[in-house]
Amino acid sequence: MSLPPMILDLKVASSTRRPVHLWLPLFLLWPLALALGIVALAVAVVVDAVLLLAGRRYHHYSILLVRSFEAVNETRGMVVRVSNEKSAVDMTVQ
Amino acid sequence: MSEDRSRILNLLADGKITAEEAERLLDALAARAGSSATSGESAIKGDPEPLIAALPKYLYVKVIAVNGDNVDVKIPIALVRSGLKLTSLIPSKAMDQINDSMSAHGMSVDFSDLKPEDIDELVGTLREMEINVDAKNGDNVRVYCA
Repeated sequence: MSLPPMILDLKVASSTRRPVHLWLPLFLLWPLALALGIVALAVAVVVDAVLLLAGRRYHHYSILLVRSFEAVNETRGMVVRVSNEKSAVDMTVQ
Repeated sequence: MSEDRSRILNLLADGKITAEEAERLLDALAARAGSSATSGESAIKGDPEPLIAALPKYLYVKVIAVNGDNVDVKIPIALVRSGLKLTSLIPSKAMDQINDSMSAHGMSVDFSDLKPEDIDELVGTLREMEINVDAKNGDNVRVYCA
């Protein structure tokens, strides 16, 4: 499993406004996300167990949660740049 | 099992590379081992990092419009793979809603039948894909992996 994204670098430039450069330290959110994730995972495991015992066909909420975290982790390296003649937005996940 | 071989297999197990790419890397390793064996050198030297590094890791989408609206997106292929894996776990009712919404917007793609082996094949094919669209009005769209 790869490391989660640590920094979100956001640049907004406009011909009419002052350019904005935001450096968002995502790594500060990860301890909180980890705590919430553990609680959510515990709930999902219980829900899956109940669904399984009830004979429901779909009982994969815990796997869905883990895979969602994996997908978030894989966003590292993503770059989105949108620009026109008047403004430009640049977002980089590091 | 050699260290190189196990590293490639670990990359495959982690979903970093597809089965097809792993096969290609193992073939390359075997070829290298074969050539060094005939020349009397030790079987496998070094690591497969240069081979792995040569694989495309990002999907690029570039839109250059005549009116100056430009879009440039770089998506890690691992994210595409994770996203596709995620679709196979979405509850069927939610998946039906997604499929309906997509077809309402002109994209009739059914992700509900996507199997893990299909995902590997899809990602493998994606790495070799290149789309170039030159519109009449001069707009240009490029989708490729590098």
